[in-house]
Amino acid sequence: MAAWDLSVIVEDLGPDAAPITISVASDLHIGGVILKLVEKLQIQRDWSDHALWWEQKQRWLLKTAWTLEKWEVHADARLVFMPQHKPVKLGLPNGIILKLRACFSNPVFQTVMGICRMLGIRHPEELSLLRPVEEKKKKKDKDLSEDIYDLTEVPLSSVSRPCLYNGMPPHFADSDKLEAVYKMLSVTQPPPAPEVIAKQYRPASVVDKAHINGRWLDSSRCLMQQGIKGNDRLWLRFKFFSFYDIDSKYDVVRVTQLYEQARWAILLEDIDCTEEEMMLFGALQYHISKVSQSEPQMLCSNAALDDLETALQSLEVKMEGESSSASELLKTMTAPDLNDYLKIFRPKRLTLKGYKQYWFKFQDTSISYFKSKEESIGEPIQQINLKGCEVAPDVNVAAQKFLIKLLIPAPEGMNEVYLRCDNEQQYAEWMAACRLASKGKSLADSTFQSEIDSIRSFLAMQKTNGSQGNAAASDESINPHSLVSPRYHKKYKPKQLTPRILDAYQNVNQLSLTDALMRFLQIWQALPDFGLSYVVVRFKGSRKDEVLGIAPNRLIRIDLGVGDVVKTWRYNNMKQWNVNWDIKQVAIEFEGNVNIAFSCLTADCKIVHEYIGGYIFMSTRSREKSEKDPLLIKHQLR
Amino acid sequence: MEDIDAMFSDLLGEMDLLTQSLGQETGPAADLPSSTKEVNFSTDYADWNASLNELEDKDLDDLMSDLMADLNATEEKLAAEIRGLEAPTPPPPDLPPPPNGQSVQAAAASPSPASLASAFPPPSSTTSPPPAPPSHSAKPSKEDLEAQVKAEKIKLALEKLKEAKVKKLVVKVLMNDGSSKTLMVDERQTVREVLDNLFEKTHCDCNVDWSLCETSHELQLERTFEDHENLVEPLSAWTRDSENQVLFQERGEKYEVFKNPQNFYLWKKDKKALKEIKDKDKEILIKENFCGSSIIVPDLESVLHLREDGKKSWKQRLFQLRASGIYYVPKGKTKSSRDLVCFVQFDNVNVYYGKDFKTKYKAPTDFCFVLKHPQIQKESQYIKYLCCDDAWTMNLWVTAIRIAKYGSLLYENFQTAQKKAVVNSAWTNRSTPSSSNPSTPSPTVKAKAQSQANGHAPKPPPGPVSQDFGHLPPPPPPPPALNDPLPPPPPDPVFPPPPPPLAAKSSPKAVGRQQHLQGNFPPPPPEMNNLPPPPPPEESPPDFLPPPPPMNFLPHPPPPTSFGGMDQSLPPPPPDPEFLPPPPPAPHVTGGGGPPAPPPPPPPPPAPVPPLQAALRPTGSAKKMPPAPPKRTTPVQGGGGGGGVDLMSELRNAMQKKRSNQ
Repeated sequence: MAAWDLSVIVEDLGPDAAPITISVASDLHIGGVILKLVEKLQIQRDWSDHALWWEQKQRWLLKTAWTLEKWEVHADARLVFMPQHKPVKLGLPNGIILKLRACFSNPVFQTVMGICRMLGIRHPEELSLLRPVEEKKKKKDKDLSEDIYDLTEVPLSSVSRPCLYNGMPPHFADSDKLEAVYKMLSVTQPPPAPEVIAKQYRPASVVDKAHINGRWLDSSRCLMQQGIKGNDRLWLRFKFFSFYDIDSKYDVVRVTQLYEQARWAILLEDIDCTEEEMMLFGALQYHISKVSQSEPQMLCSNAALDDLETALQSLEVKMEGESSSASELLKTMTAPDLNDYLKIFRPKRLTLKGYKQYWFKFQDTSISYFKSKEESIGEPIQQINLKGCEVAPDVNVAAQKFLIKLLIPAPEGMNEVYLRCDNEQQYAEWMAACRLASKGKSLADSTFQSEIDSIRSFLAMQKTNGSQGNAAASDESINPHSLVSPRYHKKYKPKQLTPRILDAYQNVNQLSLTDALMRFLQIWQALPDFGLSYVVVRFKGSRKDEVLGIAPNRLIRIDLGVGDVVKTWRYNNMKQWNVNWDIKQVAIEFEGNVNIAFSCLTADCKIVHEYIGGYIFMSTRSREKSEKDPLLIKHQLR
Repeated sequence: MEDIDAMFSDLLGEMDLLTQSLGQETGPAADLPSSTKEVNFSTDYADWNASLNELEDKDLDDLMSDLMADLNATEEKLAAEIRGLEAPTPPPPDLPPPPNGQSVQAAAASPSPASLASAFPPPSSTTSPPPAPPSHSAKPSKEDLEAQVKAEKIKLALEKLKEAKVKKLVVKVLMNDGSSKTLMVDERQTVREVLDNLFEKTHCDCNVDWSLCETSHELQLERTFEDHENLVEPLSAWTRDSENQVLFQERGEKYEVFKNPQNFYLWKKDKKALKEIKDKDKEILIKENFCGSSIIVPDLESVLHLREDGKKSWKQRLFQLRASGIYYVPKGKTKSSRDLVCFVQFDNVNVYYGKDFKTKYKAPTDFCFVLKHPQIQKESQYIKYLCCDDAWTMNLWVTAIRIAKYGSLLYENFQTAQKKAVVNSAWTNRSTPSSSNPSTPSPTVKAKAQSQANGHAPKPPPGPVSQDFGHLPPPPPPPPALNDPLPPPPPDPVFPPPPPPLAAKSSPKAVGRQQHLQGNFPPPPPEMNNLPPPPPPEESPPDFLPPPPPMNFLPHPPPPTSFGGMDQSLPPPPPDPEFLPPPPPAPHVTGGGGPPAPPPPPPPPPAPVPPLQAALRPTGSAKKMPPAPPKRTTPVQGGGGGGGVDLMSELRNAMQKKRSNQ
């Protein structure tokens, strides 16, 4: 067979280097071509990750046993010899950019699997890659931060699956630097400064929300084919809002990143919620940021229980803890005394008297008051049982106003009683006591002290937020504006916001970190609009743009004029769906002879196609648990 | 050990006092059976006597039986059984005291006094029956027994110590038919447990719809308790003079959402489509909404009428339900989430159905629901009144609010209830064949027969009886109803027949029963040991049989007449009850599933009776069966006070002995 010259660009030689020309015959297989090439290069290094990329045809010549003839490669082919894995700058859900090597030759679906394996995220089928929204000029300090987190050094071969070492996947344990990366991945970020939130792009309408979904990469084609180059930016996000089998032990990174994505979705109003819900989200964020700073080790040791040694260690610790708790137990058995002079006011009574001072005494879940301390041995003037009551704060530190508003249920209705404290400490104690009592707990409850502490730290928040500014505020001085969307920045001043968040906080402040994260996710998932990915479409036969909402279990049609859901179709009634790639139209048939067809305007119909197929696949996961299935099935979707 | 003993005897002493005072009360109280007020007492041990004073005779009996059940804290199941068994005994109150006062009382109160006997010798002594049998049975394994008794005592004492602090309420539960049952509920008991308890007492079919409901007389409200709630807490919120009631009813809407989730989650679709939905799709809906990591609340939005604070008018607003609460769309605003105004959150309120609000509050319709703090018992501005256009909407809202409030608990409750129902129906199915022959239910039957006897005895024979008959037909369907006031009679009629049918079926029955005992009840319960060992069954039956007969006898006369109309079989009953040692298979059963009794009257005309029995039996028997210790039942009732073949009486006797020795 006749030999001819094939020129190959070797990426490693730099962009300006001349192509290498080798002499080949058409029956030479790709493996042979690479061998010749490497021999000619005379460079000693590991070429095993390298492969040939055919630029004109936009394809990898990965099957090394195929001959050039079979690949239909001729002398005019522009081949590039380059590594299959290249670094990308990956924007994580928590907003941090991480440099790592991603596979450029496999379909994106598999690339994501590789990335998730590297990061320690299970169920990669729920995530995908997005082209980032172009950002305006970067400041230099941002570039700096990008370099901090770098996983490109990690040998790909060392990334194995489920085992944990020191509570993290073993490839993070090699150096402090890598450990820092793991910490970034697995610990929630502190609340962002309000200005950071305010600066970010916020979708103002459903149509705005639809645009992001045009950016998803095609999971069945590789990064090279989609024009992504080495060192490009990509975003890693949860794409399918159907989170399977979350296990707080193995899913530390997954849960953390999911939380981050949810948090930003709420802060940026990507998903709508009511004011009450926003306050609860704010309270949870506050709690999570507090707890994650105080117990990150806990997190690790929890996750590390696999390791026998650590398990034993923690057992020891636990035993010690228990023995010492015996004495503690005794201590807590006897409830601390709480009595003091407070001022009381009953707004509903038709008396003109203002606050009157009495000697107050806390007993079990009741408060009693007496004329004075000296008379406190006798019958109280009144005893009020707080069980089941509502407790609301009315505090202004600057004005030294410390009011506890009690709404006490009685057969006749609710009685309003205000208690006025003189100072912060007194307020914190009585407030904590009232809170516990309203839940039917006495002061002997072990949470009393932590309740006091959390109230005090909340007061601190109110104190410091006059002088806000330093970006990621430290523990004691979180700006409440960091916890809510910018809409509420305008509506409430920080000091108005604090009591509202505090109010919601009392229901969550005893949660562990994991529980708090899960609670946040649950409330997010319970929002009516949760899980909807929007695409602007044009229904067949319709003349106006409408929005298709794709949810884990259904499709909804939203009329842009009314802004209302006009129709819902559930997947379990779906018989089939087809895509006409030529006219870019998706046609779906439902049971009962319901047929719909639409073309997609803000996203490729491939994206809609993948969404629907993906969700249908996800709904089958509970049955087929095997790990490889997702791959197979997803591939069949192509 | 001694300490415990001392402690124990202290406790017993207390019990004595208590029961003695009870005894005093029972006598006089007996003549005021008639009207029953809804009473609910919160009691500490301290003011127990006081509250007991207010109880009526019948209630007392029930209560005592409950107490005794408590006594046997260690044998939880057993205790449950006892309660179940003793339920039928309530009739006593109906008895006019004078004539046979003594004996009746003994018989009527049989379970309680008898059980109390353990605690204190005196009262029991009056009734001769109890002591006798025990001694008999005691013989077999005296040492074992003593050891057991000791262990029992210790446990009991510890248990009592713990319980001293537990708040208890005496609750009167109204049945469908207007009758009532009185139970003691302690604050740790969930509604589920109370329901189970009632299942056993009433022999209803245990389906998932059975609920406890609370009604508020003053506010005209009603709500079903959720199964996971503790019953005592909401009841404690009632005011002392309240006319509120607790009802035991089938409420289809309680778990409707799990039976037809589409009606709640796809309510926007047209009704026809909803009806045709496939089971598979229902499952998917449940899975999606209740089995995910977050509970999904139905997406509800409708125009409801809101009762304005203070004003008499109702104003329309567009309301939306979210997991976090109910919101409304303020005038001139969009429906977007951020504009919604929170109307109420669910942490501190319960949802109630309003009754007859059209009249009471001039509501646009009678389909109203209310949100209020459970402690609020009187009209107040803190109660939120909402009115829907139709019943469908109202149910949608109330159910969805419950989902939002209780979340996964609701589904767990349903699953538990369903398991219960399934187990029960399995039993029913199993026993239905046998139920056709009265044999299976026999224990119950007997018990009821006896009670009936009591019930009848007092009344002028013919009159009441015939009345009962009139009632008979209806009762069958709702077996539970059969219980107290009228009930006693109904069951009886049915029961009396049993004997005959038994006889009639004799052979099949005997077989059936045995199978039951041996086959269905896995291991012969521990009581077996205490039971007179199989060998002497022959003797034992006669032994304890005698005592009951007298009591039964008095009553019996009337029934025959009444039944006469009913059954040919009736004739046999009178004689058979207990007099003839062999005939009644029941005793045999009691005997511990001993050799099948030589069934005497073989006439096989069960057909006539069946209908009634069928109705009653299946359920009853079904119920009974599952628990396990059928024997137990028999003895208690069969012997009345006297049938001390069961563990409890064994224990009592043993304890008495021990005490006397000391």
